[in-house]
Amino acid sequence: MKNHWLFTYRGKSSTRADAVLAVLAFVGLIGFWYSVAELEVVSQRFLPNPWKVLTALYTMLVDYGFLEDIWISVARVWGAFLMSAIMAIPIGIWMSSYRIVGALTEPIVDFIRYLPVPALVPLLIIWFGIGESSKIAVLWMGTFFQLVLLIGDDTKRVPKEFIETGFTVGAQPRQITWHIVFRSMLPNIVDNLRITLGWCWTYIIIAEIVASNAGIGHAIWSARRFVKTPEVMAGILTVGVIGLLTDQIIRYAHRRWFRYL
Amino acid sequence: MNHSDSFLKLSGIRKSFVSDEGEITPVIDNVSMNVSAGEFVVFLGPSGCGKTTLMRIVGGLETCDSGEVLLGGEKVVGPDRKKGMVFQAYTSFPWLTVFDNVRFGTRYRNDIGKKEKENVASHYMQLVGLKEFSGYYVNRISGGMRQRVAIARTLAADPDVLLMDEPFGALDAQTREFLQGQLLDINKRERKTTIFVTHDVDESIVLADRIFIFSARPAGVIEIIEVSQHLAGNRDISVKETQSFFELRNHIRDLMRDEAQRTRELAEQEIIQSVEGGRL
Repeated sequence: MKNHWLFTYRGKSSTRADAVLAVLAFVGLIGFWYSVAELEVVSQRFLPNPWKVLTALYTMLVDYGFLEDIWISVARVWGAFLMSAIMAIPIGIWMSSYRIVGALTEPIVDFIRYLPVPALVPLLIIWFGIGESSKIAVLWMGTFFQLVLLIGDDTKRVPKEFIETGFTVGAQPRQITWHIVFRSMLPNIVDNLRITLGWCWTYIIIAEIVASNAGIGHAIWSARRFVKTPEVMAGILTVGVIGLLTDQIIRYAHRRWFRYL
Repeated sequence: MNHSDSFLKLSGIRKSFVSDEGEITPVIDNVSMNVSAGEFVVFLGPSGCGKTTLMRIVGGLETCDSGEVLLGGEKVVGPDRKKGMVFQAYTSFPWLTVFDNVRFGTRYRNDIGKKEKENVASHYMQLVGLKEFSGYYVNRISGGMRQRVAIARTLAADPDVLLMDEPFGALDAQTREFLQGQLLDINKRERKTTIFVTHDVDESIVLADRIFIFSARPAGVIEIIEVSQHLAGNRDISVKETQSFFELRNHIRDLMRDEAQRTRELAEQEIIQSVEGGRL
């Protein structure tokens, strides 16, 4: 018997079937969680059921100003992310366009890129205090150097013939950079920004746990002190939901903007 | 034909490649030639012989070790709009429609205004027969059409010389023949000075006013053929059926057979050397 297309190796995909399966997987996961919690395999004190987590989330939002924490974290993430992107895009392109820039910066970037961000947090707090600037600094350190190299690689992948075509229709290097190289790699840039934005969420939670009086990370950490497991889990889920939503929005925009792909 | 009124003049071009290990490989050995304005010249030679490198030197995309290229009396020092280039690889930009790709050729011209740029682009769209595909993105069109886009875009930039690097090399035989016919038509109307690089003997005879036959690497001119002395009358794709075409083709094939053999030997030697040198 012929395999159903869902079970065929590299079989075709269908958006609707994918969506149905995705929902089923989520429902299954929540169902599994619910039964494990209800069976009290571990105490509900450590693993509350999903309903308790939702209730906790509701109380946090209504009574404890969690919405403001969310807003603060989102603002920090986007502020640092945009700063990182605005700097990394031109520098990355520049690095792969002129040998002198590449040779001078690549080794340094490669070195800093391997420094684990959590290890830098104490240093950055000594330098910048526990205010907003230290959060931005952590996120920036964690994303800028990675992004520069990703953009640099994308730049190198622009076909040589595109650039030579530019020269032979009379474009100057600066025009080639923006009209051809940047435009050609734009879909990849958006993809890399989407991935980098995900990392920002990891780093912001670390930074907020270590030193902060506000933000999702701070809320999670405060709840931990009183072993309010539902609140902790509600905080974690919030990050997941924000991440998933942002990712889907950017993917959708990618499809809309780059229809020619 | 008298070629002393040379519009494009190459004198004593030499070029070597130096590998990272410091090995020197000569690729072009003292090539000189004169090309008249409006002439269609084909560089014919075995693959990897250095003919493409020579054309890229004319385009200013590579430098030579000695010698010089003069275009309209001016020394070529780098690439610009005077030397238009059509590559074998597809170079039409995927983010632009067919029409916008062709119009891109006019983007950096400051000799004409915005309105005229549109007209120039339309004119070349018409010339390559892509009018009804104006609004298509290039991922929707075939390889042959993409090469027509590239030709139209290059012509829209109004270059002094058109350089074509095996532009039909990646196409199937039928499409290639169709485009050869179309290129002949375009050339009749535009009379653009053209250098066309190929290793396809038939293609060279169909298209060329003059064929420069190159040796195996390092490339040197071993024979120059004035095609009009062999093929009488008006040129179109049907010359392929004539007796004189067969004779000329056989003559060129005989000439190239030895060079192709030498090219193969060179390539084999290189592989052996690089394996022994521990590079592979």
